[in-house]
Amino acid sequence: MNLLPSPEQQEIVSTVAAFLAKQFPISRIREIRAHPSTHDPATWTHCAELGWFGLGLAEEHGGVGYGLIEEALLFREIGRHLAPGPFLACTLGARVAASAGREELAAQILSGHAVVGWAEPRDPQAIRSGRVSGDFDLLDAPEASYVLAVTPAGAALVAAEDLTDIEVLECLDPALRLGRVHLDAVAPVAHVGVDIESIFVRGLVLVAAMSVGVAEATRDAAAEYAKARVQFGKPIGVHQAIKHRCADMAMRAEAASAQMAFAALSVDEVRSDAAFQSASAKAVAANASIRNAGDNIQIHGGMGYTFEHDAQLYLKRAHVLDWTLGDVRSQLARLIALPAAQ
Amino acid sequence: MDLRFSDDDVAFRDEVRTWLREHAPAEPRPHDRKAMREYDLAWQRTQWDGGWAGISWPTPYGGRGLPVLQQLIWFEEYGALGLPGIDACFVGLNHAGPTLMARASAEHQAFHLPRILRGDVVWCQGFSEPEAGSDLASLRTRAQVDGDELVVTGQKIWTSFADVADWQELLVRTDSDVAKHKGITWVICAMDTPGIEVRPIETMDHDEEFCEVFYDEVRIPLSNVVGDLNDGWSVAMSTLSFERGTAFTLSQVRLAKVVEDLIDEARWRTGPDGRRPALADDEIARRLATARAEVAALRAMTYAGVSRSMVEGSPGPEGSIIKLYYAELAQRVYRLALDIVGIDALQFLSRWRPGGWSGNYLYSYAISIGGGTSEIQRNIIGERVLGLPR
Repeated sequence: MNLLPSPEQQEIVSTVAAFLAKQFPISRIREIRAHPSTHDPATWTHCAELGWFGLGLAEEHGGVGYGLIEEALLFREIGRHLAPGPFLACTLGARVAASAGREELAAQILSGHAVVGWAEPRDPQAIRSGRVSGDFDLLDAPEASYVLAVTPAGAALVAAEDLTDIEVLECLDPALRLGRVHLDAVAPVAHVGVDIESIFVRGLVLVAAMSVGVAEATRDAAAEYAKARVQFGKPIGVHQAIKHRCADMAMRAEAASAQMAFAALSVDEVRSDAAFQSASAKAVAANASIRNAGDNIQIHGGMGYTFEHDAQLYLKRAHVLDWTLGDVRSQLARLIALPAAQ
Repeated sequence: MDLRFSDDDVAFRDEVRTWLREHAPAEPRPHDRKAMREYDLAWQRTQWDGGWAGISWPTPYGGRGLPVLQQLIWFEEYGALGLPGIDACFVGLNHAGPTLMARASAEHQAFHLPRILRGDVVWCQGFSEPEAGSDLASLRTRAQVDGDELVVTGQKIWTSFADVADWQELLVRTDSDVAKHKGITWVICAMDTPGIEVRPIETMDHDEEFCEVFYDEVRIPLSNVVGDLNDGWSVAMSTLSFERGTAFTLSQVRLAKVVEDLIDEARWRTGPDGRRPALADDEIARRLATARAEVAALRAMTYAGVSRSMVEGSPGPEGSIIKLYYAELAQRVYRLALDIVGIDALQFLSRWRPGGWSGNYLYSYAISIGGGTSEIQRNIIGERVLGLPR
């Protein structure tokens, strides 16, 4: 038992973090806010070449062969840098394609040539009898060749041609592009149930990891500001009203981070309580990220409320992540029905 | 990173579980103070005889010298069986003992450490005073050197088990003319020394675990000083983070059990609508599920802390995060318990008794105060983890 990252895992994290800081500067979110798509093919291909979309996929399927924990460490950095782009949909989508025996499709996704957008179902039973139906919120889909829908019962890749009458809407998160669509018994190009592995459970861990990144980034931003901002002749961080708020942020981030790692390892080690641990991770991380992002705005005062500042972007992303694969309340409803932790 | 325990660890866990099942006391822990002392000491002695005392204590001091991971496994199995903690031995095993190992002379170590491990003696901690709580260094209990003795006059408070203790780790002021941290001495005090008067304090949950201790010209041999005269602050701080290591594992495992017990209670108890079971109420179900998720996170943090301890030798200031999280979570859980148990909790039942939800609820208010208040933990986290200015 060891919950500390190995030197190799730390190396992955620092490499990824350096790449994200260079290629996905947070300020760019504001610069391209009016663009219909955030997609940059060159950067996307670069991420693909680094193996990001197949980090946890077996080598025989064209992946790197690491576990979910390494994927989660990557996604924590993606969350921390608020990187726009359908990382989650491409990572899970490649897995769905590979599991469904669509190796050529998996290869296209892994190489960055086929982009997969996210289709969040409004109906938890949107995938039934191998058909996809209902209302969906599309994220990062304008350039996508496919969209991925994931429910507790399975996951399905739908071809972009099958998405008709997409209603384009302004997204709460200016880094993301939103559309709404209705599907009526569409046949997916690839589909997996829960018989092999749960894409949903893997997704919960990866979304939790991104939320952890948000919770940690806002903790650090708040602490840095509390050290630098001087009022009444002292840094505001000397005051317990600020210091204790920062301490609570650190507590929430630590809890979310530890539970996220525990959940990822539960999946990698095929523990019987993987669903319990991942639902717990999703709920704890969502709460931590939303509350930390809110506290970060409060500590930054008026500046934190402006569009110019990054603080608002973390809050908005925290909520998007909460809704992805089901919000806290839906995770809690699943969690109470599960057997106790192992 | 991995959650797997090695084959040796699994074998150790099996051995622990088997031994605990065969040797755990059959009778419940008594409430009478003297009887409780004897019960705790007997249980500690049984553990010593079985070779389980001081699992992570170094072998030269009579311990097993095993890694902190084995200590974690011990507490997990101990907690899972719902066994009573050996609370009377807590200070000796978790604070005084480790402090003696770190700073005392070979003679003191040879005399005291085996007695602590064997369950011969009860130790208490004479740190807090009426005017020195969170600001411990402002303590005023005076000790003057008189020949080869210290003469102590003053008062301590919140001293758990002082009424039944044999020894005390005592902090006294030996120099009032220097900065407050610099005039303190750490000394071993025999509780039967003339001039000591102990008065138990009744708590809001009708316990008499902690006491006021009064000292009227109490004469303690100078040779009982650990570390140097006026160097007591550094002696006291040498084990400050110790009780935030694996000592919390037992509380964490117990809290996980409490949450599962509450889910069972909520299945048969009538909920707030007066008709359906409590678990059918959305709010109750959501709070229970939240508790499940947060107890899981508490365990994950404990594992992360143990992992850090194994590499760095101590859980570090992050231990304060676990203490703070545990205190807040435990209070939410016992508040939730009252909402599930309902008006049945109108009957006071001590936390030591089955169904003692009211007693546990009252006790939960102590969790964010004892062992460093949650406010002090937040200061530590803010300053030592996040680097905020003092």
